[in-house]
Amino acid sequence: MIDVEGLTVNYGKTPVLWDVSFQIPQGVSVGILGPNGAGKSTLLKALLRIIPTMSGRMDFFGESSFSKVQKKIAYVPQRGSVDWDFPITAFEVVLMGRYGKLRLFGRPRAADKEAAYRALEIVGMRDYAHVQIGQLSGGQQQRIFIARALVQNGDIFLLDEPFAGVDLTTEKTMMALLKQETEKGKTICVVHHDLPTVKEYFDWVLLLNTRLIAVGPVSEVLTPENLCLAFGKNQMLFDEAARLAAKSASGIL
Amino acid sequence: MSFLDFFIDPVFRAPMWGTLLMCVASSLIGTILFLQKKTLLAESLSHATYPGVVLGVALLGWFFPSQEKWAFAVVLLGALFSSYLGLKMIRFLQEKQKVSTDASLCFVLSLFFGIGVLGISGMQSILPSWNKQVQMLLFGQAATMTDLHILLYGILACCVVFFVWLMFHPLKAIVFDPDFSKSVKLPVPMLERILFWCLLVSLVLGMRSVGVVLMSGMVIAPAVAARQYTSSFSKMLWLSALFGACSGLLGNILSILGTSYLSRNGEMLTIPTGPMIILVGGCFAFYALAFAPERGLVFRKLRIRSFHRKCLEENCLKGFWKKGSLSYAGVQALLGISPFRAFFAVRRLVRKGWVIKEHKTYRLTPDGMHKAASIVRLHRLWELYLANMLKLETGKVHKTAEEMEHILTPEIEAKLTELLANPTRDPHEQPIPQRRGL
Repeated sequence: MIDVEGLTVNYGKTPVLWDVSFQIPQGVSVGILGPNGAGKSTLLKALLRIIPTMSGRMDFFGESSFSKVQKKIAYVPQRGSVDWDFPITAFEVVLMGRYGKLRLFGRPRAADKEAAYRALEIVGMRDYAHVQIGQLSGGQQQRIFIARALVQNGDIFLLDEPFAGVDLTTEKTMMALLKQETEKGKTICVVHHDLPTVKEYFDWVLLLNTRLIAVGPVSEVLTPENLCLAFGKNQMLFDEAARLAAKSASGIL
Repeated sequence: MSFLDFFIDPVFRAPMWGTLLMCVASSLIGTILFLQKKTLLAESLSHATYPGVVLGVALLGWFFPSQEKWAFAVVLLGALFSSYLGLKMIRFLQEKQKVSTDASLCFVLSLFFGIGVLGISGMQSILPSWNKQVQMLLFGQAATMTDLHILLYGILACCVVFFVWLMFHPLKAIVFDPDFSKSVKLPVPMLERILFWCLLVSLVLGMRSVGVVLMSGMVIAPAVAARQYTSSFSKMLWLSALFGACSGLLGNILSILGTSYLSRNGEMLTIPTGPMIILVGGCFAFYALAFAPERGLVFRKLRIRSFHRKCLEENCLKGFWKKGSLSYAGVQALLGISPFRAFFAVRRLVRKGWVIKEHKTYRLTPDGMHKAASIVRLHRLWELYLANMLKLETGKVHKTAEEMEHILTPEIEAKLTELLANPTRDPHEQPIPQRRGL
């Protein structure tokens, strides 16, 4: 389903992801965990080809040409990545989920608009369709983003910290909604922060700290040893070496 | 001279249409730039056009001294070339040398403009007759535009407008959320490149009428004004184009009328068109910042004032409710306000029918009793909610309730009543006035 082999991503000279390989089957929900700066968001962006990769192979559905499968992937960026004061309504944001399917000069059709309203209905935001997005609460803004992903009709959902700064009710409803999608055979990858809820929310876990620590079903991967590897101090030596490497390569003292 | 004459008169029509088209194009691109928070780019690039212009005109003057009518084409090409170079340099500084955005923009602005100004001083001695061609582009000179200019400018301006109209949806997406747009396969780099060329074109168009120094004002002012009136991207584009067009028209007309008024005694005093257009645009922006109904500063201040007044009146009512009857001095002491404010607050309450005068003091009317009781009810309901539902300490709830009693709506009150099962006592064991049967 998602098949990644030897993925390496650098920002400048600093490695952010280093030789990451994993396979994720269809119809599971995956929690992507790791400390700050572990490359969790970078992994999603690399999968979507938003940022360039140094090396590695990433296949979806056994298809190596990304442009053929791009429309099957729905992406929810971090909430902080956009300007919420932007003059746009909730409905217009959700409608953007269909822009990938329009031709370059195309306009959204009636069917697209209908789908956007339906998605708003599903996330419980129908009443706020024509409200400027800055007027909404953090939880409501996240619902809008998830509605936009739903409208894309994708088979893979990549969500970047959808529960950061979101009220508990929204978190639970959104997770239930995503669970429903996995039951339909869709794959959900969520960058997550909160360790205690991992068992409840996800089938699989991907532990990341620049390198891949472990990947697999929650019960197998979420062991104290693995968590120590991902969040513990052993990692610091590697970070220090990486920093030194970056320094000497760029010629800065 | 009638209003229509400005558009058809052979002398006036060229500057008129020229500035009008230019203003519409630049305010559309300006809106997008404004929302991308990249307005300083317009300022830098417009200044960066200048050395190219000087170089182009100098080369033409040197090699083809008889071809003066082609000067505008050389200006166009030179400007495009050198501002493109400026952009490359900004990118290089930002990405390769890790210079901060502001610093690299300002550096390129001053470097390029400096080279340009150096160039004119050189031209002054070598090619004196061509010098004015370049000098006038500093602050623009709309009056000398010809029909040929309109044709060329019209085509370019229409290209910009057409591009924005055609690409409306993809543009909205890439400006709002570039990462998402890349993920759904929108051609983000290509659109950004076209957008950049549109910006260059509108800057170069503006050079002739407004000048390189002032041009960025025309890019920004209409967008700032438009944002004050609307929260919709499409309406903002329309409004911005309208403000742009109006500044172009009014600036032009004011400069023509002003010049003819000032020169009526035979002296030659001119009001330059470019600065006039920018002034009008600036006035639109300033007016919008102050007086736009929702976001304007003046109306926001008025709303804040009226809220404070409401708080004061309601606190006054509560005072009467607790003490029975009060004099001005009593109100003043109870609320800790100046005698002046106490006097006017009580007068307003009398006028509204909540309070009545009786034996030199004031007391609540029956209607006032209802009103005051409902405020006290909100206060105590909120205290109870904080204490029981959110488990706050009883001693700490009073302060926020003092504020919330003025804010809670009847809908929230109904929800609170239901949630707390229509309570009768607050956390301090005070009775909560009931909604009915007062």
